[in-house]
Amino acid sequence: MRRLAILAAGVGLWALSALAFANVPIGAVVENVSLPAFAGGEQNFLSDTNVSVFIFFKPGQEHSNQAMAQITLLEKELADKPVHWCAIVSDRVPPAEVAAAIQTTGLTMPVVIDAGDALYGKLGVILHPVIGITDEHRRLVAYQPFAKVNYVAFIRAQIRHALKEITDEELAAVLQPTAAVLGGETSVAHRYFRLAEKQFQSTNYDQALANIQKSLEKNPTAEAHALRGRILAGQGNRAEAVAAFDAALKLDPQNPAPLAGLKAAKETAK
Amino acid sequence: MKANIVSQSTAISHGGRKIKLKRTALGAAVGLVLLALGFPVVAAVAKKDEAPPVPKMRKNDLTPLADVLKPVSAHSPYQDGDCSLCHQNKDRENPGPILKQINAICLDCHDDFAKVMARKSSHVPAKVNCVSCHNPHNSKQPKLLVEESEALCLSCHTAISNLVSNAKVKHDALTSGAKCVNCHNPHAANVEHLLTRLPYDLCVGCHGKDGVTDHDGKALTNIKKLLADYPHQHGPVQDKDCSACHTPHGGDNFRLLTKEYPAQFYSPYDPKLYALCFDCHEESMVKDPKTTTLTKFRNGDQNLHYVHVNKDERGRTCRACHEVHASQQIHQIRDAVPYGHTGYMLKINFTQTATGGSCAKTCHVTRSYTNSIAPLVLPVKTDAEPPKAP
Repeated sequence: MRRLAILAAGVGLWALSALAFANVPIGAVVENVSLPAFAGGEQNFLSDTNVSVFIFFKPGQEHSNQAMAQITLLEKELADKPVHWCAIVSDRVPPAEVAAAIQTTGLTMPVVIDAGDALYGKLGVILHPVIGITDEHRRLVAYQPFAKVNYVAFIRAQIRHALKEITDEELAAVLQPTAAVLGGETSVAHRYFRLAEKQFQSTNYDQALANIQKSLEKNPTAEAHALRGRILAGQGNRAEAVAAFDAALKLDPQNPAPLAGLKAAKETAK
Repeated sequence: MKANIVSQSTAISHGGRKIKLKRTALGAAVGLVLLALGFPVVAAVAKKDEAPPVPKMRKNDLTPLADVLKPVSAHSPYQDGDCSLCHQNKDRENPGPILKQINAICLDCHDDFAKVMARKSSHVPAKVNCVSCHNPHNSKQPKLLVEESEALCLSCHTAISNLVSNAKVKHDALTSGAKCVNCHNPHAANVEHLLTRLPYDLCVGCHGKDGVTDHDGKALTNIKKLLADYPHQHGPVQDKDCSACHTPHGGDNFRLLTKEYPAQFYSPYDPKLYALCFDCHEESMVKDPKTTTLTKFRNGDQNLHYVHVNKDERGRTCRACHEVHASQQIHQIRDAVPYGHTGYMLKINFTQTATGGSCAKTCHVTRSYTNSIAPLVLPVKTDAEPPKAP
């Protein structure tokens, strides 16, 4: 649902997602605020002109530590992109713990202090760690809680989508990856085809014919019929070779392999 | 995984000959494989300076099965006696060295694997050494595997092996059907950890059916059906991340939960009991008696999560009011709670309002709350242009 909301936002169909900040739906403009920086001074948690990535984290929390370490690497990977990064920590966390977390996770982005969890409450955060991504107009375009699987891939894709480097379809392909099932009949058929092809090349016609037959049983393609035709022609079985080339051309009338095979068979017959 | 490059001299007995070779980790794997295939000279393909960083590979005996043993699977070229497709000679008794590096030979016919191995997450042994897992001649196992599939995986993945062996709560997915391959693609996948799909899409393959039981025979919820009927879903469920709360290889907590979660309706407040929830949810939500930021379940600044949960004796646990996967009401609020020992379900009768809500004629008399106190004032940045309308 969250992913649908992101996609909807991407095409301008602002959809309220059940999974977003409690007080800021996907598509809403996030108010920028200036907060005390852990390193000193003040810091806006968002950019008014660039894509922003902001992360609420909790030092010492297992998921926060994992997230911050991974996000730090991602920040380095995307260092040449116009992205404003900011980590937000509650002022209830002792400074020594914040410093330790920064050191442990290798965090390099600016860290700002959320006094009284005011920003946390204003956005309706409820989780740690959680990431928000805003576009150049400060519209919330993505919300990403910690995930055990494909976490960085999701964030990277959402940032690149916000930067307009990838399309809605490319983002969808990352957020909902295609299944990677093993093997299948087509795959097995292809291996028999390749084996038959090699055996044909080494003039081992009998075994080549047996294997291309196995390939055809699993996946009768024009290429497989054409190879069967070439093997039969190699065996001197012109009549069956022509029938095989015809079968190939029925499936793919423009396929050059059976056309060439037929031509050769006709020339042989002259 | 980092390189485990070990330079050492090893004497290997092959066909009655003793062969001494210098090797790296990759050299060891490829060299041993090639030696097993009968070509000591080709071990030179894995020169130290060419070796990519790879983990330690399995060393398998890749000799064909003795004629008396009936193979379960056989490689077609071997079966056809077409040794010269991979070896220098066609002669089964004297095949000679292999023609190229092992994976290059495999990919000659299995060229569809180039696309497979280009996926985001790939298994290093599959990338560099097919014969880590497959015997290129024949095998007593399906798919030319050198060993039974689960044992094969666990022979390298020893941490998982230990977890599986020692887990108090077992997951039958590991020991039934295709075992590890129920969830993982041993070659490559588009999801991390070689998962064939995102966790939820995998889990509902089994947990999206009626009649599924746990390891002890207890009936399990049909999650697919539950989610179809209950629109308000927990964040990790919407995110398809079952592994946020469940550990798929086995564990010590009931329902394979990654951490402790209170099993009872009432419990004295102890943060340890809520370790699972506090992995993501802010603990101070139930620790601070007063708040205007940590939860919307408050009456003014009186934190009603604290009121319900944080008690020395009869604290209500998360499960008292919330469903864990999905519910008919927002915030995964339960429709009803178990009351007494007879299985009677007492309705919560929760109603949401614009500024809070109420629970009526339930564990207590009807009580309402409002969280609309004056909004917090934050230091708003004023020097920026207002954002343009979408």
